[in-house]
Amino acid sequence: MNRSLIFRASLLILLLAALGAAAKNAASQQQANLTGSSGSKVAATATESQEGEKRFQAQCGRCHMPPEDLSPREARAVVRQMRVRANLTAEDERLILKYLAP
Amino acid sequence: MFVRFLSLLLLMLSSAVMLCAQTETPIISGGVQYLNTTSGGATVFQPLISPVVAVPFGGRWLIESRATFDEVIFRENGTTGPYHAQTFSSVDYLQLDYIANSHLTIVVGEFLTPFNIYNERLAPVWIHNLADAPLIAGIGTRTSGSSDGGMVRGVAVSRKDWQLSYTAYFSTLVNASQFSAGRTAGGRAAVFLPSKRLEVGMSYQRFLQDQHLNSWGSYVVWQPASAPLDLRAEYAHTRGGQGYWIEGAYRFSRYRGSESWIGRLQAVGRVQQFFRGTPSPQDVLPGADTQEVDFGLNYYLPHNFRLNTSYGRQFSSLGNTNIWNCQITYRFLFPLIPGGSK
Repeated sequence: MNRSLIFRASLLILLLAALGAAAKNAASQQQANLTGSSGSKVAATATESQEGEKRFQAQCGRCHMPPEDLSPREARAVVRQMRVRANLTAEDERLILKYLAP
Repeated sequence: MFVRFLSLLLLMLSSAVMLCAQTETPIISGGVQYLNTTSGGATVFQPLISPVVAVPFGGRWLIESRATFDEVIFRENGTTGPYHAQTFSSVDYLQLDYIANSHLTIVVGEFLTPFNIYNERLAPVWIHNLADAPLIAGIGTRTSGSSDGGMVRGVAVSRKDWQLSYTAYFSTLVNASQFSAGRTAGGRAAVFLPSKRLEVGMSYQRFLQDQHLNSWGSYVVWQPASAPLDLRAEYAHTRGGQGYWIEGAYRFSRYRGSESWIGRLQAVGRVQQFFRGTPSPQDVLPGADTQEVDFGLNYYLPHNFRLNTSYGRQFSSLGNTNIWNCQITYRFLFPLIPGGSK
């Protein structure tokens, strides 16, 4: 019984470790997509930030003001949560994140 | 054996979440409130804390939950006698979200019942402009305001000039004290015009236990771009009654900016009417036809503090009442795992 338990636990650890790694990789890829990859995108980023502000005012401002002192890593969780609550599109999420966490 | 397995699973899941937290930080946010209400001469004090935990992971997943802990302090005979206190706690929602794409998000667990907009979007203490819920808030959200089951939601169509969003859900009957919910099914659809900042939506719910009944409602949210004005309205109808509320809120941010002493001030007004239908012992609606008008002055203090004050006059065949509210709210937000700012 102990051997069986150890075997199952090991299998579970491997499975979850793989899942965790895959999740981390997916998140990193998404972050890379969000932040862009070259300096030539600086101007585009500023434009996207402005568009993000517009989307924030239109989508999020219907219910509340922007929170003060939001750090970039907090902003990611907030925007993910609001994507579900406010039915935001992926494009809305990306642009609002550019505005809140440039 | 099963308990060991479950414990191990939970341990591993939390480890996986911690791994992901390096790029997707779990946060805890919410509000702390102290409310002083005087209604019909009876004063009630209500301190409250409502934390919200959000744990994003894997790029598409999110676990989120909100709980409310509050205490109601009141006099024994309403206006006289010694003070007593009652403490309440509830889990408002505890849900797992999977964002498949812009068109589809799958939610399982306990979630806020998406009937019209007040319960899901405007009820939190750090959001609502007036402390009292509308008279019709009990329509479509009866029992607990929460549902236990599954929900799909998303943006069905997204164009530059308009969006069509939807929500559909099913809830089962749960009597557990912290997760109580009714057996219901329903949905909501809304059209949003970003350039006009106008949203119009409709809700429907079929209550599927005891006396089966339908509830339906509609709402409008409009924020004209030319003025710092919020206009919101809801209408709801069920067998127990029907009613509406219209709320306008104007922030004086045009005068010296939103950070000036006058720019932090917001004036709020709300009118509402409720027409009693077939009485039901289970509903939480007013016992008779009721009209109410509320005026409020809110002040957005620095560092996420807000002061809300309001006066309301309620007219009902059961008696007319003055309602005074004074509320201070602090909205907090910080990462669950300490670390750098990035």
